[in-house]
Amino acid sequence: MNHAHEVPVPNVLAGTLSEDGRWRWDGSTWRAMAPPPPTERGLSSWAASFDRVTSEDLYFSQTVIVWARWILIAAGLELSFWDARDLTILQIQLAAIITLAFGNFYLHVQLLRGHPSIDVVVYLASLADLVVVTALVGTQGGFTAPVYVFYFAAVLGFSVAFPTVLTAVYTAGTLGVYFLVCSATSDNFPEIFTRLLMLAAIAVCGNLFARNERALREDAVAAHEEALEAGLAGHSG
Amino acid sequence: MIETQTSPPREVRSNEQAEQEDVFFGQTVIIWARWAVISAGTVLAIWTSHDVGMLIRTIPFFLALIAMNFFLHGRYVMGSPLNRSVVIAASLVDLLLITAIVAFWPNGRGIDSGLFVLYFPVVFGFALVFPRLLEASYTVLAMLAYLAACFLGSGPAAMLSGSEPKTLVMRLIVLAAMGFLGNFYFRLQRDRLRRASTGARSAMEELRARVAAQTRPRARARRAS
Repeated sequence: MNHAHEVPVPNVLAGTLSEDGRWRWDGSTWRAMAPPPPTERGLSSWAASFDRVTSEDLYFSQTVIVWARWILIAAGLELSFWDARDLTILQIQLAAIITLAFGNFYLHVQLLRGHPSIDVVVYLASLADLVVVTALVGTQGGFTAPVYVFYFAAVLGFSVAFPTVLTAVYTAGTLGVYFLVCSATSDNFPEIFTRLLMLAAIAVCGNLFARNERALREDAVAAHEEALEAGLAGHSG
Repeated sequence: MIETQTSPPREVRSNEQAEQEDVFFGQTVIIWARWAVISAGTVLAIWTSHDVGMLIRTIPFFLALIAMNFFLHGRYVMGSPLNRSVVIAASLVDLLLITAIVAFWPNGRGIDSGLFVLYFPVVFGFALVFPRLLEASYTVLAMLAYLAACFLGSGPAAMLSGSEPKTLVMRLIVLAAMGFLGNFYFRLQRDRLRRASTGARSAMEELRARVAAQTRPRARARRAS
């Protein structure tokens, strides 16, 4: 990308950027701008996120996580009040759900104001989702607790947003914890197996799609650059 | 002025190409979602059967899905994936078979069946491939199919007794969320891809520029004071 193209057009001001921001006119030639650094993926991204890193992929996909969490909060609230009998359980449920709602409100406001959140905050918020759902499952009888379906929404959110390695770590953690909770309260292993496998399936499908999309975007950018270079070469020729 | 500065951004990915790519790449997700359903169902059928008759009654559901998915996956890896209509038809067959499993599975039917989770990856996979209207129709169909399976398997009286209505509503909400969130993500990605195809500036760069523009006057005012 470091080659320059001779374009015999005198009426462009030096320093003018091309429409896509990838070329700069220095008065006599179009010079390629330095390509942006690639989005970090994998555990290194997670480790780097302690240094206030924000990733573009995560910024976009975070909207999905935020909406998944609102669904979880709204459904959780409604279902907590429906047929509530035990005061202690209701107190735990409400405390967990309201805490989650405040956290989600902060993240949503950040998104609406166009301020991307720091990666590690998003990762911790998703961890909080899993902790809250596990707490609800634990207080409602483990295997028999119907609220385990909320794991699906949480897993869907991070599977499309997080890098593959982190998705695998979060999913494995979720499956491990839920297996422990279920196996301590039931011996219906066939059904436990089905639930765990479907959770894993959601994570795999979401992450597979996210990776495909990333590859498609890279192809599109490369095709655009090729077309641009061909156009500029045509002008200089 | 030269062409790169006056002409609109060059689109390197046409709408037709985009639709074909959606179905092509999305098919992988649907196929893998179906393999997950097949794996769970087949293992369950073999694991939970108490006699020959039961296994003979349960395994054909999954044999049908296996045959269909072999065909679809085979076509895909050969580089000639099936068209949109066939993918939709196959997804409808998924719904039909899962509904039959929930309604008639010997170990727990209808609302008592834990196999309703098989709907989730199928609805999610579909939502990642098709546009909003189709996705919404498919999700609503899945919800109705599950209601019908509960009605058939448990009967209306059992469905309305105790905490069953609450459980049912919870499951339906999550099923709807699978479709909505999947398609929401799909549309976000389509928009990003469209921007990338036109060589648009990265959204992150735009955001940083906007934030910098907002903070610069404040910093200047602070310095001046």
